[in-house]
Amino acid sequence: MAVIRDMIPPFELYQPAEIDDALRLMDQYGDQGWVLAGGLDTFDWFKDRIKRPQAVIDLAAVEEIRGIAAGADGGLEIGAMTSLTDVADHADVQGRYPLLAEAAGLVATPQIRNQGTLGGNIVQDTRCWYYRSGWPCYRAGGNICYAATARSMNREHCIVGASRCVAVNPSDTAPALVALDAEMVVASSSGERTFPAADFFIGPDIDIERMTVLEPGDLLTRIALPAPWEGARWYFEKIRDRKSWDFSLVSVASMLRVEGGAIADARIVVNSIAPFPVRMTAVETAIRGREPNEETGQLAGEIAIEGARALRHNDYKIALTRNLVKRSIRDAA
Amino acid sequence: MEFLRRALNPWGENVPIGVSWDLIWAAVIVGSVFVVGHALLVPKKVGAAEIDEDEARGLPEKVQRHTVGARGFHWSMSVAMFVLLITAFFPVVGIRFPWVTIHWIAGVVLILTVLYHIWHVFAKQDFWTMWIGRRDVEEGRDSLKAALGRSGEGEAGAGSGSRRPRAGKYPVDQKMFHHAAMIVTIGAVVTGILMMFRIDNFLWAENTYMFSDAAWGWIYVIHGICGIGLIFLVIAHVYFAIRPEKRWMTWSMIHGLIDREKYLQNHDPKRWVVAESGSDAVEAGADGD
Amino acid sequence: MLQPEVIQARRGGFTRRKFIKGVVAAGATASAAGYLFRGSGALSPFLTAQGAVERLVTLNVNGQQRRVEVPRQETLAMTLRYQLGLTGTKLGCDRAECGACTLLIDGVTHYGCSILTHTVRGREVTTIEGLERNGEMHPVQQAVLDEGGFQCAFCAPGFVMSMVGMLDRNPNPTREEAAELLAGNLCRCGDYDKILNTAMRAAELSGARA
Repeated sequence: MAVIRDMIPPFELYQPAEIDDALRLMDQYGDQGWVLAGGLDTFDWFKDRIKRPQAVIDLAAVEEIRGIAAGADGGLEIGAMTSLTDVADHADVQGRYPLLAEAAGLVATPQIRNQGTLGGNIVQDTRCWYYRSGWPCYRAGGNICYAATARSMNREHCIVGASRCVAVNPSDTAPALVALDAEMVVASSSGERTFPAADFFIGPDIDIERMTVLEPGDLLTRIALPAPWEGARWYFEKIRDRKSWDFSLVSVASMLRVEGGAIADARIVVNSIAPFPVRMTAVETAIRGREPNEETGQLAGEIAIEGARALRHNDYKIALTRNLVKRSIRDAA
Repeated sequence: MEFLRRALNPWGENVPIGVSWDLIWAAVIVGSVFVVGHALLVPKKVGAAEIDEDEARGLPEKVQRHTVGARGFHWSMSVAMFVLLITAFFPVVGIRFPWVTIHWIAGVVLILTVLYHIWHVFAKQDFWTMWIGRRDVEEGRDSLKAALGRSGEGEAGAGSGSRRPRAGKYPVDQKMFHHAAMIVTIGAVVTGILMMFRIDNFLWAENTYMFSDAAWGWIYVIHGICGIGLIFLVIAHVYFAIRPEKRWMTWSMIHGLIDREKYLQNHDPKRWVVAESGSDAVEAGADGD
Repeated sequence: MLQPEVIQARRGGFTRRKFIKGVVAAGATASAAGYLFRGSGALSPFLTAQGAVERLVTLNVNGQQRRVEVPRQETLAMTLRYQLGLTGTKLGCDRAECGACTLLIDGVTHYGCSILTHTVRGREVTTIEGLERNGEMHPVQQAVLDEGGFQCAFCAPGFVMSMVGMLDRNPNPTREEAAELLAGNLCRCGDYDKILNTAMRAAELSGARA
């Protein structure tokens, strides 16, 4: 019998209004609980009957973690449940963190941005369809990667950072937040922890079943942005097959602090080429003190792809990464 | 509790994918119960055999129990084993770090030490030293009785009462440990070599589809069972190594030597013949002949 | 913490509620599950949530308070179509990809297939049926008639709702901006040119009305 893929199997539904209640429910249900933010990824899993949690904890009513407010030391704090539209349209975000506004504004479609949350976009699971087919791959707790074999369809998979699993992080806001030195505030029943965005995302070498440091019972509650660099140049580009809806094939986010015509400091982050947003620290070091021009961009692009290894169908990602990194320095404005 | 983790593969077959990680805790618990039980039930100081002056005549002060090669093998294997167990099980229980590369490199080191050991045993040592024969069975029965405080009536050696029987070069409990460790290590090594076809390494290209999903699943299950078995064996081994009455043996694994007195108390000079120089020891013929 | 006024601005009339446990489950025969398994007797898998209290919810749809029994796992598009009879909201892909189910929640476009009905309690839901006011068509609806915007028109309700949302965000879009704002809807007839004509005409009409 064909698998039914529209009606969702039943679950307990909780709609706590307080974060502590949500955390208590998450503890109570453990891995049988599912945290629902915007739900745009959630319902695919449910409709496909691949994830069948006993309880869904809907955070829509937790107002505490929705909205944008001034943060410490001239920074900005964004609640994880803030919609991507609200992030992209917010005057402060547009004015002081245009990189993030641009990235959030390029996610999927208007409808998805209206409902999808910044937190959900950050912690979203990979799009690897072998994994999403519900097969017992490494990421699903099994012992095989269906995407890495010589016969696999792996055009969208990774060129760096693989360890058995070759899935990529699909988030558009993640590289922007890493480039902005954002901090992720994570709550659990045992207290609050903060992670630099670059450490928040983890590779399969550390935990093959998760994309982030979040363990069951952990909830990303706020994203804290430090005060932006004065007069920084920035660049964001997302390459995708379709101009709407689609996930990135490669995306780049860069921040350049230029003093006296030379790059004083830089953040270059590329996503969708690895299971986590890749901060190109070697590139950042190499371009320091140079002018942000074609030549520097060329050098940066070559350094960016050092050690990259293509799978059968994704060698285009190496050229794409090289060129995007080049542009992200040459064309930063 | 389930023993296997199973999954539906893309062809709808229900295949094993590995051993249930709950068994890690089962091994830790069984190991702890064994250690605590042994410590509580077998604390009695068993009288050592008296030293026969005749036997002692002509023997050097120190007798070599382990050659440099044997000690080198033992400690390199133990380091590899600890690295393997830590990299295997710490991530499973929540202490996360990039473990795969360290794990397989330690595995390669283990394989090299095992190969050296096999060569060493056949080329330099007497293979039968570790064999369990009829006399070992008797010795085991007697030492069990002695340990439990029963009379040592069947004891062939000196005196009466709770006396430990004297062993060949290796007491029977050591031999049993050796064989148990050998079986699970070989199981882990053979499956581990196959599992290296699932990851990138410098030896060969990965080949995920070398076996069927079910065959791969059983390979993972065997690897897991052997690994978990090693948790128990390592717990027991470390426990005995640090017990006071066995420390002379532990020291001999470090500097290679035991006192003449320990040699005569614990070993039967007929079964473990020590040359006058004290440099090498050869068991007189295979046990049970 | 976040400033309360920011929150209030975002979600005006929203009332807080603590621990509103799930709702219907055991007698969900009257719900969408009933639609999919008409008389098949195959309902039992959908009725297994234990100890749940059957409960009615009140939805604010097109300005009306509608009382309805909703299983917790039901999406808004299902409830609207199969319980409230508001079949103007179409289900195309059911995967937040095609936009046929686009509707407004508190004036903002959402995919009705990908939000739980229970999540929108207390919020204003507007479907294509709610655009007409006092017998007068919404400017977007008039624009569709003026421009003959669609071919098969299965996607039309979704596009119309997206256009309403678009005009709220940007009352005077360029053709390019309109394309961007309508990028969340698909037309399998490929009639995008006429759809954009419609969008531009709608902006014109609503500007004239304002």
